[in-house]
Amino acid sequence: MNSNRRVLIFTLSSIAIYLIASLAAAIFGFSWAPFNKVNLVADIIKTTQHSDSTEITGIDTSQNAPLILTDNTRKRNFNLYTRPNFITSFAADTSKPALVSFLQKLNELKQGKKRKIRIGYFGDSMIEGDLLTQTLRKLLQKEFGGNGVGFVPITAATSKFRQTVVDNYSDGWKDESFKTPTDGNLFFSGHLFRGYGDWVQMIDKTITDSTAIIEKSLLCGLVNQSITITVNNVPVAINATGNFNRIVLDKSINKNIKVSVPDDRLPVYGISFESESGVIVDNFSFRGITGVELNKIDSNFIKAINNEGPYYDLLIFQYGVNVLFRPNDVNFNWYNHIFLPVVQKLKRNFSNSDIILVSTADRAFMYDGEYKSAKGIDSLIKIQAAIAYQTGCNFYNQFETMGGRNSIVQWADAKPSLANKDYVHPNGRGADSLGVSFFKAIMKDYKKYLNTIK
Amino acid sequence: MPAFDIQAFFHQFLYDPKNPLLFNNGFFVFFFGIFILLYYIFRNNFKVRRYIFCFFSLYFFYKASGYFVGLVILSAVVDFVISNAIYKQENKTTKKTLLIASIVFNLGMLFYFKYTNFFVSLSNDVLSTSFHPLNIILPIGISFYTFENLSYTIDVYKGQFVPAKKFSDYLLFLSFFPKLVMGPIVRAHDFVPQINKPYVLSEKDFAKGFYLILSGLIKKLIISDYITLNFVNYIFDDPSRYTGLENLFAVYGYAAVIYCDFSGYSDIAIGIAKWLGFTIPANFLSPYQSKNITEFWRRWHISLSSWLRDYLYIPLGGNRKATFATYFFAVLFFGGVFMFGVHLLQLSYLWATVLSAAILLLFALPAIIKKDKTAFATNFNLLNTMLLGGFWHGASFNFIIWGALHGVALAIHKVWILLTGKAFVKVNNSKLYNIIAAIITFHFVCFCWVFFKAPDFNSGVDMLYQISHNFSFSVWNAFYANYKEVLAMIAIAACIHLIPDDFADKMIAKFTKIPMVAYIVAFFAFVLLYGFFKSAEQVLPIYLQF
Repeated sequence: MNSNRRVLIFTLSSIAIYLIASLAAAIFGFSWAPFNKVNLVADIIKTTQHSDSTEITGIDTSQNAPLILTDNTRKRNFNLYTRPNFITSFAADTSKPALVSFLQKLNELKQGKKRKIRIGYFGDSMIEGDLLTQTLRKLLQKEFGGNGVGFVPITAATSKFRQTVVDNYSDGWKDESFKTPTDGNLFFSGHLFRGYGDWVQMIDKTITDSTAIIEKSLLCGLVNQSITITVNNVPVAINATGNFNRIVLDKSINKNIKVSVPDDRLPVYGISFESESGVIVDNFSFRGITGVELNKIDSNFIKAINNEGPYYDLLIFQYGVNVLFRPNDVNFNWYNHIFLPVVQKLKRNFSNSDIILVSTADRAFMYDGEYKSAKGIDSLIKIQAAIAYQTGCNFYNQFETMGGRNSIVQWADAKPSLANKDYVHPNGRGADSLGVSFFKAIMKDYKKYLNTIK
Repeated sequence: MPAFDIQAFFHQFLYDPKNPLLFNNGFFVFFFGIFILLYYIFRNNFKVRRYIFCFFSLYFFYKASGYFVGLVILSAVVDFVISNAIYKQENKTTKKTLLIASIVFNLGMLFYFKYTNFFVSLSNDVLSTSFHPLNIILPIGISFYTFENLSYTIDVYKGQFVPAKKFSDYLLFLSFFPKLVMGPIVRAHDFVPQINKPYVLSEKDFAKGFYLILSGLIKKLIISDYITLNFVNYIFDDPSRYTGLENLFAVYGYAAVIYCDFSGYSDIAIGIAKWLGFTIPANFLSPYQSKNITEFWRRWHISLSSWLRDYLYIPLGGNRKATFATYFFAVLFFGGVFMFGVHLLQLSYLWATVLSAAILLLFALPAIIKKDKTAFATNFNLLNTMLLGGFWHGASFNFIIWGALHGVALAIHKVWILLTGKAFVKVNNSKLYNIIAAIITFHFVCFCWVFFKAPDFNSGVDMLYQISHNFSFSVWNAFYANYKEVLAMIAIAACIHLIPDDFADKMIAKFTKIPMVAYIVAFFAFVLLYGFFKSAEQVLPIYLQF
């Protein structure tokens, strides 16, 4: 028997049922997620409920009580936070520089004074592998002088991915961090390493000037008795008697160093490569965090670091992408509650440093089969800006600098691409462009500073 | 209030680059319904039926790729005219000239659209020229239909086939919509005779067609898409951010993705063809069950490997002799291996030479063992076929590397058989040996997929580095917790492979006639399953600490 009729009957009856169900759902407003996605007439019959579903709802900024939009007495303007490529102190007069004290030091350096200016750039996976910071460092050192990659942790998940340092180490290092129990003090990197006869070897790949003298120092914690480590295979006795110690191991044109520790008494943080004068940029990336984890760093320990050095002239904090971890979140008041005290504490502990809070970059999720910026991104950035505003920090809008809404989608789909297909992380090219933009924003502020001192 | 959007309605009929027509578009449902109705009404009027079929096929192509439909028509006209001229022509030289004209036309078109920018950048890199890459978009399906054109004219030239007399026969062969976008590559001598036959199919054909369409849709639209979007894309895009464990599973995941995507499309095409009364041979036969790499190529993308065998491997000399082309590509290959050693593996000139020599020795081994010079030529012809076959998949060095790896593996397998053939007679049939062989073969194929999928050579190397150097089971719990749905999908894809090839036929044979209601229920179960996965919450990437 010929079954060709069966093909016809099956096809037509299935389509008829399918079409009737689709029309009925569209007309009577019946909504069930799995069926909405396969409704045959969804594109040509528009229902009011339908178009509403993609709108952002539920943002509640009224609860942000301390959020003052304009404050005439001190002539501040909160809305400046939306400007791209711009570091704002929220001062209504935008002809004045934001980072006054930092720029003053930068200018001294530019004028030829020998001094060190240190920048700490804190972030999550967005700056992992020295992304963004490597560009910023290169441009600042080119403009104002300085050599060296700055602080490098003993081990890192992405140490092989990082282009600016070759980092080899033995397998035995124990890593205590923000995410593990620890009985020692964690450094700004969020880590503390203990080795038992373990070694680490690093080569700084950023130095292009072969005559530059590079200071290589070990950053470590307290150990009560004298301890002998080996530096480039030579035993060296050190006294690490402070809560925090910065011990210069070598000062030469060598770009590499090898250090090994005898046992786990000595808490080790990392090694810093830096010239005696110039700009040093330290990258402190810790994947998966929101910035709240910085609270785990003890205030007294921060004081000890400030006393011993490194002393930070400018601190930059870029978080937020891990706050936006669910596609439909639009209310981030909870983040305000927990992050605000952290920033207040940092501000207290670094009272003489300039601080910039950098907004989250764009992040997209799949909505209705299409990647779009996270629904809540605007409200998160507003919260981040409000935290900066209330604590007297400066603010830089990374999201608007990237190009605003859906820019990460364009970046990921561009050829060549500027971001990864997770629609979260700018890749090397993208991060490079963010680094350039940030450098230009600093230079713009620097020009304003030069105008004020004329 | 719901409102009928008339503008959107008419817009549906036009090509939309953002939303090209595929089997999963709502539009395809209507398209297929109207087509099947007309096809059925005019089933006994072959001429009208053929025209309807051509029209719908070309319209499908237009909806899938816009005005590139013109290329299909153009190449159909050119090849139809040339092949008929070849057939009628008695002068051997003219015949040959016409054949060359057809080959130049087809390969020229393929070359222009697919490979121009590759050679532009190669020239810029190697010869330091500064040509601008052209703004060329690759027309959908061009790799498939140019190969169909080529085999057709070559068959006619060889006198193996009487060319289609009616243009519409030829146009339909070329544009037959079920296989237009992703194959299988159909041979004219199989297909053209089926065009003007009565529309007959048995109950078993109906059941088999349904099974193929539905299982193909599940493989392609549910399994493959889900694993790609929720896992594989994340890792392959930036492997060094992820641990070795995640990278390894991304490779397994991609092995599942490419199989489900490709074989799923083929199954849908073969199933639809079956429903329309056409038989197209199977294109994939559980390839990851293969116990060696030679067997893999008998089970993977069969229509391509048999095409390459008939129209590339045999003309190159096959297992009979070496031709000029054999030596030409062999020289290119060893030049390539040497350059690869120096630039990508960063070997010294000496070690790069050693590497090339080692591979040369490998290719010469069968000839030495068998004391037969033709074995040498066979190996090279096989390698050259794999190299060009790799390049067919895409214009990048990664595809050439992928082809080369397979070519070298085929040679190693040949040597292995020669060395162990007699000694392993008993072991060869043991279950354990076969399982071990299948696992090794599968992992080799996966190793090659790394280069097939990675955007460039370095990301492929990064991926292998992470797997070999940053591998730790300590992240398993966190990995499993985040990706359990994805892992389940990979497991399902693996289970599909455990289904014996003749399972569907055996099941269908058991039932005499399944009621229509059962088919309809099964279909809607699929529709809802598809809707469920389309609306499922996205699995987000995590960054594991390790």
